[in-house]
Amino acid sequence: MSELIKADDVEFIKKEMVRYEDKYSAIIPSLYKIQARHGWVSEDSVEELSKVMEIPSADILEVRNFYTMFNQKPVGKLHIQVCTNVSCAMNGGRELTDHICKKYNVKKGEVSSDGTVTVNQVECLGSCDTAPMMQINDKYWENLTNESAVEIIEKLRS
Amino acid sequence: MLKCTINGKEVEVKEGTTIIEAYKEMQEDIAHYCWHPGLSIAGVCRLCVVEIEGNPRLQIACNTEVRDGMVISNVSDKVEEAVRWGLDFHLINHPLDCPICDQAGECGLQEQYMKYGQYDSSMAENKVKKRKVVDLGPKIVLDAERCILCSRCVRFTEEISKTNELGIFNRGDHSMIGTVKDKPLDNDYSVNTVDICPVGALTSKDFRFQQRVWYLENTATTCPGCSTGCSVSVYHNKEGAYRVKPREDKENNGYWMCDEGRNVYKFVNKEARLLSAKTLNSGKLSSVRLAQALEDFTSFNREGKKVGVLLTGQNTTEEYKAILEMFAGADFFHWKNNEEKFNDFDGLLKRGDKNPNTNGLIETISNLKDAKSFNASNYDLTVAVMPENFLVYEDYNEKLESLKASKNLLLFSAAKLPKMELKTENTWVFPLKTFVEKEGSYLNHAKTERRIQKATSIVTEAVALNEFAAAVSRGLKININHHESRKQNEFTNIPGQY
Amino acid sequence: MEVKLLTEHYDDKSFQGIEGYKAKGGYEVLKKAFKMKPQEIIDEVKASGLRGRGGAGFPTGMKWGFLPKNDETRYLLCNADEGEPGTFKDRKMMERAPHQLIEGMIISSFAINSPKSYIYIRGEYNESTAILRKAIDEAYAAGMLGKNIMGSGFDHDLDLYVGAGAYICGEETGMISSLEGKKGQPKLKPPFPAVQGYLSKPTIVNNVETLAAVKYIIRDGAEAYKKHGTEKSCGTKLFSVSGNVQKPCTVEVPLGYSLMDLIELCGGLKPGRKLKAVIPGGSSAPVLTAEECVDAKMDYEDLAAKGSMLGSGAVIIIDDSNCMVDLLNVIMHFYHHESCGQCTPCREGTGWLEKMVKRIVTGEGRLDDIDLVLKVANQMKGRTICALSDAAALPAISFVEKFKKEFEYFVREGKSMVTSKGAPAHA
Repeated sequence: MSELIKADDVEFIKKEMVRYEDKYSAIIPSLYKIQARHGWVSEDSVEELSKVMEIPSADILEVRNFYTMFNQKPVGKLHIQVCTNVSCAMNGGRELTDHICKKYNVKKGEVSSDGTVTVNQVECLGSCDTAPMMQINDKYWENLTNESAVEIIEKLRS
Repeated sequence: MLKCTINGKEVEVKEGTTIIEAYKEMQEDIAHYCWHPGLSIAGVCRLCVVEIEGNPRLQIACNTEVRDGMVISNVSDKVEEAVRWGLDFHLINHPLDCPICDQAGECGLQEQYMKYGQYDSSMAENKVKKRKVVDLGPKIVLDAERCILCSRCVRFTEEISKTNELGIFNRGDHSMIGTVKDKPLDNDYSVNTVDICPVGALTSKDFRFQQRVWYLENTATTCPGCSTGCSVSVYHNKEGAYRVKPREDKENNGYWMCDEGRNVYKFVNKEARLLSAKTLNSGKLSSVRLAQALEDFTSFNREGKKVGVLLTGQNTTEEYKAILEMFAGADFFHWKNNEEKFNDFDGLLKRGDKNPNTNGLIETISNLKDAKSFNASNYDLTVAVMPENFLVYEDYNEKLESLKASKNLLLFSAAKLPKMELKTENTWVFPLKTFVEKEGSYLNHAKTERRIQKATSIVTEAVALNEFAAAVSRGLKININHHESRKQNEFTNIPGQY
Repeated sequence: MEVKLLTEHYDDKSFQGIEGYKAKGGYEVLKKAFKMKPQEIIDEVKASGLRGRGGAGFPTGMKWGFLPKNDETRYLLCNADEGEPGTFKDRKMMERAPHQLIEGMIISSFAINSPKSYIYIRGEYNESTAILRKAIDEAYAAGMLGKNIMGSGFDHDLDLYVGAGAYICGEETGMISSLEGKKGQPKLKPPFPAVQGYLSKPTIVNNVETLAAVKYIIRDGAEAYKKHGTEKSCGTKLFSVSGNVQKPCTVEVPLGYSLMDLIELCGGLKPGRKLKAVIPGGSSAPVLTAEECVDAKMDYEDLAAKGSMLGSGAVIIIDDSNCMVDLLNVIMHFYHHESCGQCTPCREGTGWLEKMVKRIVTGEGRLDDIDLVLKVANQMKGRTICALSDAAALPAISFVEKFKKEFEYFVREGKSMVTSKGAPAHA
């Protein structure tokens, strides 16, 4: 029925809409679904989702923009999020972010020229005992050094 | 009933009354931005704080119900300090561009600032940059930097118009009111968001930059836009009217009015109006002084003449009574706007009957005939009262055209008339007063009386039907000074005017 | 000494699966609970003195008691949106002992007669989510969830709901808003969730650790549980210890445990380092100076007496290599980033505080700023719908008041008093 939300995703969304007590609860899972497909959630996707769910687009955009895990613009193949909250900051999280940015010649929040890497600082990921740490896409990487972090990224890039 | 003490005064309130409602009831000052009596409670501006005896923490008055024996104050040092800071929090990212802001003069932020402002901004930081002049829809513009995120407009579109165009996007001090591009703020009630915006964030494209509000007077009256007859205020100066806003009226329209009703000021201003009386002079209508036209009509012998009167529901009951008396024995015709939609209702305020006084007409004049069967040539004298809000009459021109068949024509119109070639024996055209220029009453859809009040004189030569009838029947001399066009109330000797 | 109730089998990998869990007595307590009357369970929890382990420390049994005494459908929400900086104890539990949480939830649901519960888990916890999903499936397959559980006649469904990145969803009404598919903005109270929560139905929100503790209270009885801890702070507590200790980790000790011993339990400080400060209950808890730490006991009362709080039990150890101005800047950035934006004092105040502290830490500070930080923070306290505003204000006040010299030095000299760290480039 639409270009941005594929038929099987629509099927998933419809199921989620009856899974919870209220169809609004399906907004977050649906946005995740769209992000899994495109890497981010565009305003156009929000409008399409609004039609699929029959929920005002403003309500859905409010949700997309409130939660930091929904990317409001495209990200690199590897979305690297380095924790820079207290415990990680004390253990070099900020320096690690800078190191990775420098290594891939990319500014925070931007996509590297080859499209492989986006680096962001992120708030506490609940892995303070293994600081500093980063999340790459869905996965945590812990007890990092500048060198080990780059090694991991290099492996994932290829 | 519950007894409580507010700022040292003992009062009784109904069970379930919130503290802020109690303050409002006793007309005691209380600062607030997000609370609005017509909307749900948001509790976010945190300005309506009060001190309740026995509670060390300040409470917000909007979300606290009065309990029996409560001792409440908002004049303590503690409260005043909290309000002062609450205001500072509102101002740190506000542009303070009052000199170029349309809301200046009726701005909640400005008012509170005069009262509590620290006059020495502690904020050395750069303000958060947000979007200016955001086009939210056909009628409304947003300045996101001025917005204090009270959420009234968002709640309005959720709870009242139920159109959900607005949202508050992002978090923290990056939060911003907005719409999604596929759904602009465009509903039949959208301009209410401008009224309830406590600052100059939402402005109406129609009124923006037209007038400084402190140069305008406002008059409480009734909207003539449809048979709901919302309580409204008309804002005007000596040049004319500039806007119409709803006036609180719990039984009738609550706090709201429709966007269409906001346009009713447009047909009252000079550029849309018929400015002088006219009589037929060698086959052509030409302007004459009102007194002259009156005399001219009075000298016309109506004895034994067959009279047909064409009326809409847009005049006051007082006018209908006068016209009924004046033309006793005549055939009266009821001309309606759009028949198919006449009984429509949108569930909130808007009705298909675009006349404020259809019921007044029906109740005053029995045996009304359908205007569809009206034929001017059947009568010796045709009396036609054209509707002031003529745009809602799709067959307006057609009807006007049909009057040409009259033998003698007495025509009342508030609106400017097109050029008319007439073959009548006599034609008298009188400029009619609009709802802002006269007193009187309407009977709305629920048969409730709605009053209108004179706000201003726009067309000095204009008459109301009852004034006209009185002048004619009593044969009074009318003295009009054309040069003092702004002088109010020329018909001071005519009963019904005061 | 550690007392291992919740963490007893953390090192046993098989405890993650239902077979391994059952082998260690898993779901036996549920069987026991089904033989009790719901009210008896509530009474037992009340008697145990269990207080919410998520941060606010509200007595659990009392919270349950606020539910209306009628047939209205009620929900149990497990707060697994662990977001308080420094906290990671719930993640550990969900990954190592997921069934322990599920069992605690079924017992609690039975006690409050809830037909449906949710675990609201933060979106970043992908691994925990996967493990919990598997555990829930196992529990359904084993008849621990669904219709007529263990022949008790009690039906219960449990679902997982994944958040999407917002600290404020750890606030119980923010979580409810989020589960309702909206922005995770806290709701006005009253009404409280126990009366009007999820979809306006009575709702109980309890932390992961709290619900797991219920299992052990029912297993051992309130009396036995109360033997751990102090008179008013009963039971054991999971502490997430991080920062400048040699072995950061989760430990379970009785409440009232000495802070200094806790540091030792985590390997102590790095050689040559001195203790400078401790944040004892997550980044929103007022910081303690080294002197205050000496006799600090990790329980609700002692920390409150010291002007701080137990919070989520996230203990951040700060040694003398740290610049307090720099750390406050990190913390202020966090609260500014996480303010939901509803209430004006928090929305504007968190940004204001961050800007001021950032200015100081970049050498642009004015002496007045130090006082203004205190003034602004004080006006943010107790002024908003939820506690985030206070959470931002408390560290600001405590850092500035207790380490004023460092702030003044930074303003005067344009650089940090802690020589090893200048103005960081990331400020």
